[in-house]
Amino acid sequence: MEKREIQDKAKPSRSFDWGAIRRRRESIERAAEQGWAPSAEAATKVFRERARALAQEPARAEALEETLKAVAFLLAQETYAVESRYVREVYPLKELTPLPGAPPFLLGIASVHGQILPVVDLKRLFELPEKGLADLNKLVILREGSAELGILADQMLGMRAIPVREIEPSLPTLVGIRAEFLRGVTQGPIVVLDARKILERILTFQGPNKDT
Amino acid sequence: MRWTVGKKIGSGFALGVAILILVGAVSYISTLKFIGSAHWVTHSYQVLETSQALLSNLENAETGQRGYLITGEGRYLGPYNGAATAVSSDIAALRRLAADDPVQRQRLEALQPLIAAKFAELRETIELRRKKGLPAALPIVLSNQGKENMDAIRKIVGSMEGRERSLLNQRDTEEKARARRTELVIAYGMPLGLILLALVGFMTSRNITRPLRFLSLAAERISQGDLKMDLPSDRRSDEVGVLARAFSVMARSLESLARAAERIAAGDMSVELMPRSAQDVLGNAFVLMRDRLRQTAAEIQESVNVLGSSASQILASTTQVASGAAETATAVAQTTTTVEEVKQTAQLSTQKAQYVSETAQRSAQVAQTGKLSVAEAIERMNRIREQMEAIAESTVRLSEQSQAIGEIIATVSDLADQSNLLAVNAAIEAAKAGEQGKGFAVVAQEVRTLAEQSKQATARVRSILGDIQKATTAAVMATEQGSKAVEAGVKQSAQAGESVQKLAESIAEASQAATQILASARQQLVGMDQVALAMENIKQASSQNVASTSQAETAAQNLHALGQKLRELVAQYRV
Repeated sequence: MEKREIQDKAKPSRSFDWGAIRRRRESIERAAEQGWAPSAEAATKVFRERARALAQEPARAEALEETLKAVAFLLAQETYAVESRYVREVYPLKELTPLPGAPPFLLGIASVHGQILPVVDLKRLFELPEKGLADLNKLVILREGSAELGILADQMLGMRAIPVREIEPSLPTLVGIRAEFLRGVTQGPIVVLDARKILERILTFQGPNKDT
Repeated sequence: MRWTVGKKIGSGFALGVAILILVGAVSYISTLKFIGSAHWVTHSYQVLETSQALLSNLENAETGQRGYLITGEGRYLGPYNGAATAVSSDIAALRRLAADDPVQRQRLEALQPLIAAKFAELRETIELRRKKGLPAALPIVLSNQGKENMDAIRKIVGSMEGRERSLLNQRDTEEKARARRTELVIAYGMPLGLILLALVGFMTSRNITRPLRFLSLAAERISQGDLKMDLPSDRRSDEVGVLARAFSVMARSLESLARAAERIAAGDMSVELMPRSAQDVLGNAFVLMRDRLRQTAAEIQESVNVLGSSASQILASTTQVASGAAETATAVAQTTTTVEEVKQTAQLSTQKAQYVSETAQRSAQVAQTGKLSVAEAIERMNRIREQMEAIAESTVRLSEQSQAIGEIIATVSDLADQSNLLAVNAAIEAAKAGEQGKGFAVVAQEVRTLAEQSKQATARVRSILGDIQKATTAAVMATEQGSKAVEAGVKQSAQAGESVQKLAESIAEASQAATQILASARQQLVGMDQVALAMENIKQASSQNVASTSQAETAAQNLHALGQKLRELVAQYRV
């Protein structure tokens, strides 16, 4: 009886398919030899999808409408948009120097092409709750005349042509500072910011005591 | 008759002794005289003999002289020389013998000069012959003087012999007369004495022997145990009478003792006995015997009681012993059966021990094989460990390479981000350009899409890299665990090897023990055979024992009966 136990133990507990492993390894080696190029089928599929996308007719109706050209970005899982004529450029935030004694929304200053710009965190400005992790490594540089500042964004979404009639005035429930900086909200929903007001308010910020 | 027996016998003996003295005296005297005359006869014969020797010696001297004279040779003088000394000693002897006889002494005196003259003549002639020769000596010889001397000597010697012979005759006559007288005395004296003694003996025996014979007959009857007798009650005052009376008293005393003995024999120990005196050995012995018998009877009664009860106990014990022996016999029979069974078991044990011994030897071989297998297993395990280490090394290298890929991917991702931003900026610029920038806006849009796709691709690569990292980590850990497991396996195998070694040693010991057990079992089997044989003997002995105990039981019953009988017998004694 013990002998049988020992023999049972001597056998592998589960049969391991070394054949399958070998086959997989061989396929990987083949792929490496071909320079990791996708298979012919995969390539064909990709090309077909691209062709289908390019074959679609762009919506002509949009062109007839009055649209607002805006740069869209993500911030705290919400989509915001700023009218593109106020956007000088977008820029990756490399380094940020905090400013002591500054209001909380003013995170600090950053150097862009040798120019010193203040950096604003809209979440703090709008007193939104700090939830989830954010990249906050993109800087949208706003400009109105000589006034410039950068607002932090998580991710850039690119240009958007937003029909003006789709922009609804901001919700009546929004009061205070948020209502002040918003131009409206689309069905997206995309929160369309009023860049001119933001620039005005921030650059003329006197401090909380003088503001109220 | 007022004489005692001693006086009677004494007077008779005195008469006999007187006659014997008379005859003896006569015989003694005549014998003394006979001895004296015999001396004198001897004396006379000596004288005769000596005188003859004297003559002979003289003649010898003469013969020697004559031989010398004739021959002139010295060797013929031998007889002459010897004769001179012999003659002188003969004369001295005759002188001694004739000392008490004056007549003979006178003749001897006369003889001496003649002898001297004869010797002188002889000496002269010899001297002359020697010095002057035969013719000178011859005239002396022829003078005849020597012959005359010789004749005179012969004459005197003849007269001496004649006297001695006459003395001999005279003594012979006297001896004959004396012998005749002595003969007469003995011839008449001895018969007379014998007759007188016979007479006295007859008288004495008549007077003493008859009563003594009667008494001796009585004594004989007493010695044979017959005490019933009538003794003569004569009033003889001598020793015989006293003896007869003493006999009668003794017989009565013995009779009374015999009666006492009869009563004692009848068991009456209370008989009264008085010793007749302090020296009454028999009486004292009887009293002692009665006392001892009384004591002995008491002791015997006591002993018989003890004996009776002992016999009863012996009977009881013997009965028990008999039943015990029977039980023992049964038990022994059972034991014999058991021993037979045990013997069969021992046989079985021996077979089993042999089997075990063989099995142990086979096990020892198997253990040896196991030891080798374990060593081989350890070697293989070590090889597996090396493989595992190689796998870990490869996997770690793979992980490091995937890290490099990650770094590259991070760079690519960054590039995509920047491309995206550039595209956005281009779009912004295009928007600012208005209608002229529309085409550029499209390109910018396309570039942004590509950047987006690159970003997504890098994200995918990153997630795949993460999976690879996890997989390699898991693989490294798995190989480490595998290596540890192999190490544990090696250790385990080493332990297993030790165990197998110990097992082999144990098995070797077991094998040895099994061999010893086998030897022991064989010895045991032999021992069991002997035990079985011994048990058979014991069984026989036991059955014999049963028979013996039943005999002993019978004997004990007899003994018991004897004890009872003895008790009845002893009860008859009155102490």
